[in-house]
Amino acid sequence: MSAALDPDASYRGAGDGAPLPAHASPTYYDRPLLKKPHWEWEVIAYLFMGGVMGGSGILVALADETGDDEALARSARYLSFVLASTCPIVLIKHLGRPERFLHMLRIVKFKSVMSMGVWGLIAFSLPATAAAAAQLVRDGVLPEELDFVHALGPRALTNPLQLVLGAFIAGYTGVLLSATANPLWATGKRHIPAISVCSGVAGACAANNAMLALFGGNETTARKLDRLESVAGIAELALLLSFRTHAGAIGLPMFAGRRGAKLRSATMFGGILVPSLLNLVPFHARWKTLLASALTLAGGYVLRESMIEAGKESADDPRVSSRQPE
Amino acid sequence: MANGFFTDTTLCIGCKACEVACKQWNQLPADGYEFTGDSYDNTSALSATTWRHVAFVEQNAPPDAPPTLNKWLMMSDVCKHCTYAGCLEACPTGAIVRNEFDDVYIQPDVCNGCGYCVPSCPFGVVDLITHADYTETRHFVSDGRTHDDATQKTGGVAGKCTLCYDRQKVGAVPACAKACPTESIQFGDVAELKKRAKLRVEQLSERGTDSYLYGVDSDSSVGDLNAFFLLTAPPEAYNLPARPVLPSTHQPAGYTSAAFAAGALALVGYALFRAR
Ligand code: SF4
Ligand code: SF4
Ligand code: SF4
Repeated sequence: MSAALDPDASYRGAGDGAPLPAHASPTYYDRPLLKKPHWEWEVIAYLFMGGVMGGSGILVALADETGDDEALARSARYLSFVLASTCPIVLIKHLGRPERFLHMLRIVKFKSVMSMGVWGLIAFSLPATAAAAAQLVRDGVLPEELDFVHALGPRALTNPLQLVLGAFIAGYTGVLLSATANPLWATGKRHIPAISVCSGVAGACAANNAMLALFGGNETTARKLDRLESVAGIAELALLLSFRTHAGAIGLPMFAGRRGAKLRSATMFGGILVPSLLNLVPFHARWKTLLASALTLAGGYVLRESMIEAGKESADDPRVSSRQPE
Repeated sequence: MANGFFTDTTLCIGCKACEVACKQWNQLPADGYEFTGDSYDNTSALSATTWRHVAFVEQNAPPDAPPTLNKWLMMSDVCKHCTYAGCLEACPTGAIVRNEFDDVYIQPDVCNGCGYCVPSCPFGVVDLITHADYTETRHFVSDGRTHDDATQKTGGVAGKCTLCYDRQKVGAVPACAKACPTESIQFGDVAELKKRAKLRVEQLSERGTDSYLYGVDSDSSVGDLNAFFLLTAPPEAYNLPARPVLPSTHQPAGYTSAAFAAGALALVGYALFRAR
């Protein structure tokens, strides 16, 4: 084993077999060993919107395949389409050279999670667009003569595609973070992707529930969404707590200090526990649904924001970045 | 054949000729005039526009030890041109390629500044050039000749050592190695350099100095480094990771975790939605 890359190789200094002097600095003037991601609100917003979009894709399939939840299928289809059309805008805006966004499409690269994500997003937007167009015809927004769009996007095809690709989009954003050298993100390789999926599904339930509350849907569907939202939220909370324990000191940028307080209040408490309690109360009103949805969605945004911002801080500590998580 | 660097830190005198030569050859902007107080190091780190960085490590012996134990170490850091490069694997545009000299090269006209290579480098080397409007003269190589394109705008893209791809194309030694007055930076065929480096470790040991090679016969997932180093202090002292890990090795666990969560929630959802 090479001494250089062996974490436990004890280096003997000064040629006389003496151990390295204890006072020798273990870091280089405490300067960061790693570079920080430069991602700002655009990427945070994309991670959030991608979660809701992917979750909505799952909901389209669930609503359609399991019965006559037509209002939900409609709202989830429209939401998937609208988000699939807006996500590229923030993604392009975050680039250092936005005019070169098409360069993403000159290659399909399985090793690059970002390349997979771009192609996943494009793949998702095809059935999402076809399904939304067909829905517009059914809803009488587009003239009936455009009936042929049904043929372009039969539900038997678009539903399973939206399910699978939606799940991919909700999850890959977590893998994107984990597959880096960033200590916090890499340590969370088993947690962050699952947390992203849970938060995405909870956010999709919240957003679609709000759509139903605003534009009309049936009561049974709303209660089903409530329950799925709570299940996803509680799973997310459990995973977050487990991540905090697992990450230990590496997790401090995310779970301690002001950022930790914000995560606890806005996501864990305000974005998961409170809406779940609201959903449990056997009293139903439009304002209650809207409130619970807004809290869940805000919690999802704060979650993404803490992951990105804490990642930047994590890259700053050379003690943490020297022995990188396997 | 792989071309790379053997940087023998025991020969470095900290003159920073490599830093200057690299800046000049690659027409990179200055970093400002900050005085850090960290020994003679006012450059601080490799950056998007600083592709060689000389580190100065001062280690004082304890008060009761002989002053011969005092150490002042200098080391010229550079992109490692990893065998398995995190930056290259992460790049979604294919801007980062492995060239015919086995070096990791960013094509500045392809990079769109997505920034994913930045957190994907286990050595904290590559970064985005933030000088948004900074224009520079770039040397493009085609037909074995070097051309200048003075209008190339390079702000917003990723930057790091090219291992002087343009110079290698015409058979010239990289600017930093050429400028190094002590041959601390040695350029050549990596296999040949490794042999030379191992002999040097033995020679130093005979003379009573312990040293080791960083990035040779590595058991790390990043593999051996095409720009490797002879060091006389632990890697951390030079701000090198003691255990670099190739980021893509986290992908299987990540995708599995996502698939598991999505599958579980879809099943729960299915059960909930089927219930009347
Ligand atoms: S040191 Fe970093 S920037 Fe250089 S080749 Fe390796 S991963 Fe890429
Ligand atoms: S910033 Fe440029 S070189 Fe880096 S990953 Fe993105 S496209 Fe590739
Ligand atoms: S090889 Fe060229 S680009 Fe790389 S550090 Fe040396 S002079 Fe700079």
